[in-house]
Amino acid sequence: MRPRAPIHPWLMLGPSLAAWTLFVFLPLGLAAYESLFAWDMLTDPVYVGTANYAAIAESGELWRILGRTLGFSVLVVTGSMTLGLALALLLDRPGRFFAFVRGAIFSAYVVSWVAVALLWVLLLDPDRGVAAAALRALHLPRVGFLTDPHAALVTLAGVTVWKITGYAMVVFLAGLRAVPQSLHEAASLDGANAVARFRWVTWPLLKPTAAFVATTSLIVSFQAFDVVRIMTGGGPARATTLFVYAIYEQVFMNLSVGRASALAVVYFVVLCLLAALQLRAWRSQTVGRRA
Amino acid sequence: MKTRDFADLSRRGFVTGASLAALSTLGGCKRAVRDSKGRVRLQLWFSLGGRNREVLLEIVKRFHATQDEIHVEPVYQGDYFESLAKLRTAIAAKAAPALSHVVAEVVPYLARAGTLESLDGYPGMREIPFVGPLAQSGGFRGGGERPLHGVPLNRSTPLMYCNGEIFAKEGLRAPTTWRELVDTAKALTRPGERWGHEVPISWWFWVALVGQAGGTVFDESGRATLGDDAGVRALRLWQDLVHREKVMRPPPGRDYDAWNVVNQDFLGGRAAFIWTSTAYIRYLEDNARFPVIAAPLPKDVRASVPTGGTFFVVVKQAPDEEKAAAARFLRFFCETEQAAYLSTRTGYLPITTPAVAKMRADGFFAKHPNDEVAQGQLANVEPWPWEPLLFRIERDIVDPRLEEAVLLDRDAASVLGEARTLAARPG
Repeated sequence: MRPRAPIHPWLMLGPSLAAWTLFVFLPLGLAAYESLFAWDMLTDPVYVGTANYAAIAESGELWRILGRTLGFSVLVVTGSMTLGLALALLLDRPGRFFAFVRGAIFSAYVVSWVAVALLWVLLLDPDRGVAAAALRALHLPRVGFLTDPHAALVTLAGVTVWKITGYAMVVFLAGLRAVPQSLHEAASLDGANAVARFRWVTWPLLKPTAAFVATTSLIVSFQAFDVVRIMTGGGPARATTLFVYAIYEQVFMNLSVGRASALAVVYFVVLCLLAALQLRAWRSQTVGRRA
Repeated sequence: MKTRDFADLSRRGFVTGASLAALSTLGGCKRAVRDSKGRVRLQLWFSLGGRNREVLLEIVKRFHATQDEIHVEPVYQGDYFESLAKLRTAIAAKAAPALSHVVAEVVPYLARAGTLESLDGYPGMREIPFVGPLAQSGGFRGGGERPLHGVPLNRSTPLMYCNGEIFAKEGLRAPTTWRELVDTAKALTRPGERWGHEVPISWWFWVALVGQAGGTVFDESGRATLGDDAGVRALRLWQDLVHREKVMRPPPGRDYDAWNVVNQDFLGGRAAFIWTSTAYIRYLEDNARFPVIAAPLPKDVRASVPTGGTFFVVVKQAPDEEKAAAARFLRFFCETEQAAYLSTRTGYLPITTPAVAKMRADGFFAKHPNDEVAQGQLANVEPWPWEPLLFRIERDIVDPRLEEAVLLDRDAASVLGEARTLAARPG
């Protein structure tokens, strides 16, 4: 379709381009500029070149934050996908009981992050929490779910998975309903058992749904802030300081706008790389299907 | 054509209306210095909760009862650190309140940034008879020679609290040296039931240990030494108590969450003796089911405590009328009645000498020996350096590393060496 005038596509794109420029490109450009200064918002900025980048890289802080964030994402994406798919397969049945269970699981997704985080802080309290009581009843050793540097990140990932699995389950349920029943019947007639039907019929047709769930879970995991802020404040021993929280901490707690901006720029680059990888994966999948 | 004219008119009318609305909104955003009754509106951003908040609001109420020209509008802004973040942002946006309060270590930073009003020129401010170590003059090295930027609000020092019942049962007394601290913690620890000692792993208490080990966090030339060997010894003491002796629990949580855990463990009998702020004297006494016995922090090579709590500050960019109103409120706040009221109700130290004298004359210290102990510790106050980088070094560099070093038992010397290197960098 050819536009009647060359300006028309730009006019159509105009509003969203303006919004993107104002709220994304401009702040990003400003962040990149400010990352070259030592600045605390109150005194005059001092030009330091790439010293902020060097500082976060040399101290190892950047790699630790990146490693933690990627580790957290892996746990959240695999956890929510596996559980979401398992629940969808288990609960894709008619009847009020299953409808109720599906609704109950999905309900966690609509509750605010703050409420979820506060709830889990109480549940995981090492002295008075339900989890501690269960461990005591089973004569198992005490676990500092939020206080042990080796356990805290896994705990936060678990809470995140608990919250978003309902969403993954609903999306997988929609994907399952789109799989034609006739294919299952044909496979059964050919002697395929339930596992084989899942492997050769359901899963190939669910792949686009799985890719969608993976993308949304990845986004959620990279945006994690509320859960960190409320449950651990980035501790213990920085074990749960993820990227977004690290940026917040630098600018608002440590009074270092330059350092925070450098982190934000690096974060943007990391997200661009991930997006590129994901696009490539999607394209190869689409090309594969067309071929 | 007629329709087109009408459409143009409507559009023009819409644009004009929208512009007027925008202008009137902008006008509405302009700061109104006076309220509808002609009183100066004085916004006070505060970060006190519980009883401290009640006391502050009561003092504001008393102030309103004494005059009708100024109306103080207290606005809660979260804990100290959240409140500071908001204050800095508001100052940068030129929308800060005239009056707020900040932790002591932040005052030099805000003063250097030129954001604080000097209160020297306001009537009576320089004449307020502050308790030296709690005021800017004695709370900071050379603080008295600088313009007056901070007026003490709630001031404290770390203090040791012992569970009187447990100590009596075991026939022990409060430790007075580090050696005794370790031995007493060992004697009072019951694995799985009670920790001997507990203290928040945080800058403030570590600075106390550094002072006791004979060090300072900054040297006279303004270099962040972080106590050098004394800093390492201080950190190792904690590491030994946690990992070697297994008599101290590093409380979970960050900032005041950890402080709260320490208080709860003490009140619940899960910690025999703790270090926390003098600010909790009343709270602990009122909520404990056992006698609470306060004691000075133990010595290593000397006795030493830092001061804590906050200072009122007046923001320079606020309108003159509001700043004058703030100064007037501060003078009222520092009057003997108010200063004594805040101290007797909370446990924060009385900030003026007449308030101390009044409390003594009223028999307060005789009735509350724990408050007397806190008063006695003022003789051991180590003033903070007037160092603008102090707060950044505390929050960004030292605090997180202390937690890491204690929880993960990292080598104290290399952790503090790394912190010193980072402290020397621009940030």
